[in-house]
Amino acid sequence: MTDPYKVLGVSPSASDEEIKEAYRKLAKKYHPDQYADSPLKDLADEKMKEINEAYDTIVAQRKNGNRGGRAYGGGYNNVGPNGGSGFNDVRSYIMAGRIADAEQILNGVPPERRNAEWYFLKGSVLYRRGWLEEAKDHFSRACQMDPGNPEYSAALNQAMNQGSGVYGGYRPNANMNAGGCNSCDVCSSLICADCCCECMGGDLISCC
Amino acid sequence: MFGYVRPHKQELLVREFEQYKGAYCQLCRQLGKDYGWTARLTLSYDCTFYALLALSREDSQKRLRRGRCVVNPLKACKFVEAEGEAYHKAAALSILLTCQKLRDNVGDDSFWKAQGCRVLLAFLARKEKKAAARYPLLAQAAEAATRAQREAEQARAGVDACAEPTAQLLAAVFRELGGCDKGQCLALERFGYFLGRWVYLMDAADDLGKDLKEGSFNPFAARLGLEGKKELTEEEREAADLACNQALNATMAQMLPAFHLIGLEAFGPILENVVEKGLPQVQREILFLHVRDPKVRRELKKM
Repeated sequence: MTDPYKVLGVSPSASDEEIKEAYRKLAKKYHPDQYADSPLKDLADEKMKEINEAYDTIVAQRKNGNRGGRAYGGGYNNVGPNGGSGFNDVRSYIMAGRIADAEQILNGVPPERRNAEWYFLKGSVLYRRGWLEEAKDHFSRACQMDPGNPEYSAALNQAMNQGSGVYGGYRPNANMNAGGCNSCDVCSSLICADCCCECMGGDLISCC
Repeated sequence: MFGYVRPHKQELLVREFEQYKGAYCQLCRQLGKDYGWTARLTLSYDCTFYALLALSREDSQKRLRRGRCVVNPLKACKFVEAEGEAYHKAAALSILLTCQKLRDNVGDDSFWKAQGCRVLLAFLARKEKKAAARYPLLAQAAEAATRAQREAEQARAGVDACAEPTAQLLAAVFRELGGCDKGQCLALERFGYFLGRWVYLMDAADDLGKDLKEGSFNPFAARLGLEGKKELTEEEREAADLACNQALNATMAQMLPAFHLIGLEAFGPILENVVEKGLPQVQREILFLHVRDPKVRRELKKM
């Protein structure tokens, strides 16, 4: 087996805290959620397993019975089986990663039979192929046709969030501070809160 | 299309920057050695990135050698030398991609404007043949991409369809770096796909203003409902920049998970810098600081 310290990218002399920190960082980087809709899922799972094993080995070596529990594991896929679905075959193809087959069936559906679910599934197929813009269009069409559906709105939300830059890229309005909240923000928020309290008859900061 | 894949220099360690420059200079030297001095004109950041990625996948010895710049003998220069194919392949790729790009320009631009491209093409034609004979796979991928690109643009296809040829080109080129390791091939392919997509979208976003003025095709024009407009108002331009930035961010969100799965032996921190910080920085410079704008350029020069 490879050196567990090397897997986590820390030196053998690192403190328990440093190891935990390195583990957290890596676990976030390779979290299964990020690969849920990707053909790289197996590879990421393997990597995650390797990281988990390395962490466990180090913890065991250091004879620390209580490691506080690993926070990461499992995974989800945003196309799942659906009882009332008219496209069960397409759903199972997508879940199995057979994107081309799923798309072929979807394309064979005549336009008048294309319902919200069709747009959602077609969007999912496009998303997996990397056609992100058209995927977004399809998801929003599905949401328009069936506004209450949590599955469709979750897909649309994900697509929109990724455009915002939280998952990489450039965020034009982001604060340069890591937390997105600097000392100025804290003060102005407090003053705001004080004003609100005063409106309602209370007081948060007695001197102003 | 070239020059978007570069490091964010301020965030590199001095040692890393030296290595990056060393690889850049070595690629320049290799271009000269393999294909003659005119080939050096094709040197780019993008192919340096490819060389570094190829080097990080190769298990070869790397040395830092002090020497003199090949173009300006008065300048001292460091070179990162390595055995193996990496620099040869990067040099071939540089020639092949530049030739395809020039050919594309000859097709797009007016007769007189394209004269410069024709002259350069004539210089590079023999070198292109040599590169294609050495690496037929790269040559085929580059040619197929140009052909598909032309077809997509003539059909006035959507953003995704237009980005597909460049995405597929880099997917094929990077996949080949995986060698026999299936998992690595997959990760490299996926990373290449989204890097190619990002480069195409960045280029399209960068050219949007110019294309609208000249009436040339741009996939973002139809997407954002700007077709037929010549000049954009300040608000329209801002909205367009934001929309393009979102498309690029969504691509980054797919690219990063794939990139993290690639096993990088050497130069890992430099490559991470390029992907995680360099690319967003390019988005920032072009879409929000407008460094390409002649007005802004003049002001930057004064500073």
